[in-house]
Amino acid sequence: MAKPLAEIRRMNFDRVHLRAWLTRIRYFIFGKEADKGIIFRLFIYLILIDVAYIYLNPILYMISNMIKSADDLLDPSVNWVPRSIYTGVLQDAWQKLKYPTSFSISLLLSLAVALFQTVSCAVAGYAFARLEFPFKKFWMFCLLLTFVVPTQVVILPDLIFASALGVMKTYIPIVVPALFGHGLKGALFVIIYRQFFSTQPKELEEAAKMDGANVFKVFFRVMLPLAKPAILVVFLFAFVWTWNDYYLPSMFLNGSKSVPLSMGISQIQAQLNQQAADYGPSIFDEPIKMATSFLIILPPLLLYTFAQRWFIEGVERTGLVE
Amino acid sequence: MNANVNAKRKIKSSTIRKLEGSLFIAPWVIGFLAFMVFPLCYSFYMSFNTVKILATGIDVKWQGLKHYKYILFENGSLLYNDLFPFLRQALLMLPIIVVFSLLIAIILNQKFWGRTLFRSIFFLPVIFTTGQVVQEFMSQGEGQLGFLERYNVSSLISTHLTSTWSTPIVRIMDSFVLILWYSGVQILIFLAGRQTISASVYEAARIDGASPWDTFWKITLPAMLPFVLLNLIYTTVDLFTFPTNPILTKVTTANYGQSSALAWIYFAIIFVFLAIVFLVFSRVTRSHAAASR
Repeated sequence: MAKPLAEIRRMNFDRVHLRAWLTRIRYFIFGKEADKGIIFRLFIYLILIDVAYIYLNPILYMISNMIKSADDLLDPSVNWVPRSIYTGVLQDAWQKLKYPTSFSISLLLSLAVALFQTVSCAVAGYAFARLEFPFKKFWMFCLLLTFVVPTQVVILPDLIFASALGVMKTYIPIVVPALFGHGLKGALFVIIYRQFFSTQPKELEEAAKMDGANVFKVFFRVMLPLAKPAILVVFLFAFVWTWNDYYLPSMFLNGSKSVPLSMGISQIQAQLNQQAADYGPSIFDEPIKMATSFLIILPPLLLYTFAQRWFIEGVERTGLVE
Repeated sequence: MNANVNAKRKIKSSTIRKLEGSLFIAPWVIGFLAFMVFPLCYSFYMSFNTVKILATGIDVKWQGLKHYKYILFENGSLLYNDLFPFLRQALLMLPIIVVFSLLIAIILNQKFWGRTLFRSIFFLPVIFTTGQVVQEFMSQGEGQLGFLERYNVSSLISTHLTSTWSTPIVRIMDSFVLILWYSGVQILIFLAGRQTISASVYEAARIDGASPWDTFWKITLPAMLPFVLLNLIYTTVDLFTFPTNPILTKVTTANYGQSSALAWIYFAIIFVFLAIVFLVFSRVTRSHAAASR
């Protein structure tokens, strides 16, 4: 009698053991909750890596193509990794872009616009979030209207007045709107600031006011330092978008000798077309375009690699939107 | 007496507050008048005229509705040839962009190994999409998905659908990568929006035994609805005002009056499109709310 009992107990123990083991496997594969198991994890990584590949692919393609030598370009067995690094194309693009000059133009222009927009949009955004002024709802509607109106609707009058004021082929018509919280995507920045400031606790301002600070002190000493994440996001956006923008420069700087980098591609394209008409197409046509693109996006890419940690945090903390 | 003084002070302080507020908003309002209202009115005025820029000044001749008539009824090549394919494409791209960016934002919000790396990669489009560089990639054929060509999906679609819809679908699949590149800011907005839902709600749901599937539909999605609307608006505006947009490239200095009229018609279309998006969105949310009740 004792023996079978022990056996049953052992079998039971085995079964329990087995089940515990099975559960552990199940937990490992599916997870205690669906989002913690290995299958889900693998699935997520699959999607992420796929999309990351899609995002990185053009950049990698660009880099790999621009350092290929003529032999590598003609050899179909060389796909991604060239056998030797050839910098001639890069140098050629550097010269064709007049890189040092156009780089400084781009840098100055983007810095100016970005700085002006970060400050002027912050002032407007703070007013929209916290201050009282007449017809606030109406102006809010105007802000949204500004967001929706395409630049192309207002570009022609702008051009006429720019030429009437004699500021064509200068950077004034691009920079001045930024001073007033407008310009490229200015409305979006005002909205971002407005969202950020309206999530801040009111007590801070009240305390500062209690201590006798006027509205300017409250804004510049209390609120603006608090708004670092929003400032970072707006600055980076404004800088990069101005850097990349080629519509406004192509309108206002048409025919000017000194143009920002963003117009480089169309310039290079024109030069290449000219060359193709004279000598026929060259195998370096595409690499040279790739090298141009690389030289154009390199500075914002570097900026982003340095700023991305704060940038991502900033985005999360601004709450960007309601 | 005392009350009177108090009332006086109150009025005074509220006027002061208003003055301060006006001072803060003044630059923006001046900018709005100078860079928005004035050009808008002038371009509206130009759209009814023939404008010629001469060395001596601007020569304006009243034309009435001639430009509008010309664009809308007489010459289809200016507007309609590009408008309808573009509208269909936008209609398909809009939901794809929003759903895709919501999905990616939710995935990126989870805790997993290498999250920071993936996040920085996923924000790359925000930096580059605005530039001509991306256009360059797309014209190189980098926008295509390899497997579509391999399995000849596009011919399959064009044989099964009428050409009105198959063309935009094939075009979208051809430029699917481009769509993904367009969703940078949208992912950002969703990710920022996801932070507004507090973790305790999810904890409570888990304690009550809700599955992640339920949690998504009952908690995440309803809380994200305002952001969905915002993204819809942003995507619409972005798609319609992209500089490479076929219609907007026709707004040139060659013919001020006609270009202004075209721009205004186009602007009206954007407005109507936004209104439709708004309407559909509110309908869907209302029925969704009714269904979950």
